[in-house]
Amino acid sequence: MELRVIEKGDTSLSIEVAGEDHTFMNVLKGALLETDGVAAATYDMNPEQSGGQTDPILTIKTEDNTDALDALETGAQRVVEKADALETAYNTAA
Amino acid sequence: MAEYDVTFIEREEREARFLIRGVTPAFANGIRRAMIADVPTFSIDTVRVIENSSVMFDEQIGLRLGLVPLTTPLGDFDIGDEVTLALDVEGPGTAYSGDLVANDEMVEAADTDIPIIELKEDQRLELEADAVLETGRDHAKHQGGVAVSYRHLQGVENVGERDEFADDESHIIRGVIEDDGDLIPTEDFGNDLTNRYPDTEVKVEDVPGAFVFHVETDGSFDVDTLVTEATATLRSRAEALTDAVAL
Repeated sequence: MELRVIEKGDTSLSIEVAGEDHTFMNVLKGALLETDGVAAATYDMNPEQSGGQTDPILTIKTEDNTDALDALETGAQRVVEKADALETAYNTAA
Repeated sequence: MAEYDVTFIEREEREARFLIRGVTPAFANGIRRAMIADVPTFSIDTVRVIENSSVMFDEQIGLRLGLVPLTTPLGDFDIGDEVTLALDVEGPGTAYSGDLVANDEMVEAADTDIPIIELKEDQRLELEADAVLETGRDHAKHQGGVAVSYRHLQGVENVGERDEFADDESHIIRGVIEDDGDLIPTEDFGNDLTNRYPDTEVKVEDVPGAFVFHVETDGSFDVDTLVTEATATLRSRAEALTDAVAL
């Protein structure tokens, strides 16, 4: 997965995630919003109608004591846990 | 943390209905989208026509071949892998999807009775075709999940007797209802709540975090494989992101 940092502060991060669409970005955004220390998280698929730019840009703002990049890692980890949990639950029922 | 609970309502090889509890709308939609667009299947992509004296153009035959679902053993192939199939049918008679012979026995037409073209006397169709493993995002013919959807589980609560002079109106709902812990598909009572609760006032509410998935595959693989693989694509992307962030 190719990432390009567009803006980075201590408690904020704007990052382009190449090759992804709503399928993953919305799941990730949902997971980030559940993560401790994240104040805001969103993504934009077609930022400012910029001609041709279609890779999503993820924007995260965090509380003072949380680094935005760490929050992103925690959020991604949370998606992995969700996927594991679903697979376990499905196989238990199947 | 995330704790899910899955209950099957219907379960067949190619079609299933199941309830997942404790899931967020974002994650539910992520799985649905992944099932449709991100789980790859084999589909014929290139056709080399050796003889086509049928009444259809090569291109039309090619389109029809592309839409034939092929069994896809996912563990043994990677995206972009190709399998060659051959078809040789002489009229009079009909060329069916079952006449396709692959060089790999794990790949074959999921349904053998799809007509490709009817051939008359002295007409013949002979060709070689390459099937490629790709995702539904690339082309709809590669979609493994053909009808994948979900709706909220609907909780039905009895709130007393119906007004004596109320209009005799039906109360149509679709999906699955939950009544006192029981899961009942609405088809069981003709989709009309007044059949199940006559002369009763009922309150219908979406149960938060409970989604009833309806999953149907095209036969490339079974429902279990589709769900598991869709979950796996989400996981692998999250892992790739974790790795990319760590760098």
